[in-house]
Amino acid sequence: MFLALREMRHAKARYLLIMVIMLLVSFLVLFVTGLAKGLAYANISAVENMPANYFVVQEDADHTFRRSQMTVQDLQTAKSVAGDANAASLAVQTSTVTAAENKLKVDVTYFAVDMEGMLAPRITEGKAVTNDQRGNVIVDRKLAESGIVVGSKLYDQATGLAWTVAGYTEDSSYSHTPVVYMNNTDWQAMRTGGGQGKTSAESVPYNVIALHGSSEQAHTITETLDQVEVITQKEAVSSIPGYSAEQSSLMMMIVFLFVISAFVLAVFFYVITIQKTSQFGILKAMGTRMSYLAWSVVGQVLLLSVVSLSISLLLTFAMNAALPDSMPFQLEPSTLILTGCLFIGTSLVGSLISVGRVAKIDALEAIGRAYA
Amino acid sequence: MSTKLMMKQVTQTYGDGDSTLSVLNNLDFEVQEGEFVAVLGPSGSGKSTFLSAAGALLTPTSGEIYIDGESIIQKDKTQLTELRLHKIGFMFQSAQLLPYLKVEEQLLYVARLAKLNAKEARQRAADLLKRLEISGKRNQYPEQLSGGEKQRVAIARAWMNNPAILFADEPTASLDYRRGREVVRMIADEVKKERKAAVMVTHDERMLEWCDRVLHLENGKLVEK
Ligand SMILES: Nc1ncnc2c1ncn2[C@@H]1O[C@H](COP(=O)(O)OP(=O)(O)OP(=O)(O)O)[C@@H](O)[C@H]1O
Ligand SMILES: [Mg+2]
Repeated sequence: MFLALREMRHAKARYLLIMVIMLLVSFLVLFVTGLAKGLAYANISAVENMPANYFVVQEDADHTFRRSQMTVQDLQTAKSVAGDANAASLAVQTSTVTAAENKLKVDVTYFAVDMEGMLAPRITEGKAVTNDQRGNVIVDRKLAESGIVVGSKLYDQATGLAWTVAGYTEDSSYSHTPVVYMNNTDWQAMRTGGGQGKTSAESVPYNVIALHGSSEQAHTITETLDQVEVITQKEAVSSIPGYSAEQSSLMMMIVFLFVISAFVLAVFFYVITIQKTSQFGILKAMGTRMSYLAWSVVGQVLLLSVVSLSISLLLTFAMNAALPDSMPFQLEPSTLILTGCLFIGTSLVGSLISVGRVAKIDALEAIGRAYA
Repeated sequence: MSTKLMMKQVTQTYGDGDSTLSVLNNLDFEVQEGEFVAVLGPSGSGKSTFLSAAGALLTPTSGEIYIDGESIIQKDKTQLTELRLHKIGFMFQSAQLLPYLKVEEQLLYVARLAKLNAKEARQRAADLLKRLEISGKRNQYPEQLSGGEKQRVAIARAWMNNPAILFADEPTASLDYRRGREVVRMIADEVKKERKAAVMVTHDERMLEWCDRVLHLENGKLVEK
């Protein structure tokens, strides 16, 4: 590092410039990663936070909750395989609600769940809803931002039915809309009263069955039930409308940023290395070991990338603190560490091109070349 | 008296097939301790090739070379690097200092490579710089030095690791007459003072005053005139 450090000291402007570029790129990587994670969370947190690792869906439903239909008998079967507490029905419907007093109109997703089962929402404020209470719902706290408080009345736009908000739950979004939890009694009332034909209350189908169990149990259910498929929570999440498209375009940006930073860095150091060909020849002629020179090049890259990454981490934290809560931004330590390691890793890989170049330089370069 | 450099029947051939060029042709050469030898020859006669072979930068097509009694022919790249570090000092046509190291650091760098004790290295660097009359410029970058001062730093750097022998390829080429002569005198002084040896390649006949022997490179052989 003797040479590496002194060289940077001597050509401050040059190395500062590349550091600024790396800083900006790594900041952008962290920012977009945080945004991707935040958006993902804002999109599907309701499903992600469910204590279920499998979902039973209809076979031809394409993994999409809303297209799937399961019957009460299916639920019985699932319960008999996985245990009563480890299977729960879930009905999903997107809709628009209005809150008349304040002339609000919000898109929401209804989740009809067994309020005593595994999918029952965790109440953070207000009162829970029991299974046979009528006209009470639990809503995601995001609705509070629209001015909906505990006790507010929500009107379903399609059916005109009204519910009272009994309490809030946290982090429950589905397809970027806040979730409104209701019990199955209300759900059936809405479906039968909403002009859905003359189906009797008991036979209103669910969409999917959430399952907490082993892969063997999942397998048994697939075998026993006709025309169903058991998918993992991950598969379910990526089938949520819009999720995959959103995440894959962000992912592409991140990958490109990595590729760009690796290229910029590799080219920068390669050009510098070529410029210094005669210097490397002289160093070798004087008896500098190749390992020393390699470490010198790699050390510079390592130093630059670690310093710029640290600064951009600080910037990211500062920005995270400054961002309004409504901005979906989320960076967990594990993501940070992974992103950081990847960034430094790609930088190092880029520097290897220069090391290869240095290895090829002959000590003979030093002699007989007048002003090389 | 010990032999610092011995070359036996050294041949260096460039090219292959029909168009081969024998730059060195069964060349024999010896340098003793305390000797300062000049090698003269017109451009293209093979002076740089000769120096590269003698300085373990180039393994010749055939022949034997011993530096401080050690044969260099069987050695691989890493061993040659090691040998150059400890046994050989180089001076190049233009001083070829590292632009980002201060004068003193140029010397300390080679000392670090050779894993010399830091305190001793500092002492030796100070001594050398003083003897070569550039102590005052210790903390300057090469870009702030004149051509003659740069070459003096190059001499100091070449002697830093106590090498057995010093090779200089046209050390005066980028200097005017007076400065050039001074640089050659300083090389000669160091050879005498430290009981070392030096080989200088040049095409300037006015620089030979302090040389013990003058040889001419002709048809791939060294001849005395
Ligand atoms: N790598 C090489 N491949 C082929 N031919 C070479 C190579 N290096 C040198 N030569 C040839 O060997 C001859 C001697 O070259 P060398 O550089 O040793 O001459 P020189 O005496 O140092 O000349 P100058 O005084 O101009 O520096 C030249 O004809 C040159 O073209
Ligand atoms: Mg030459």
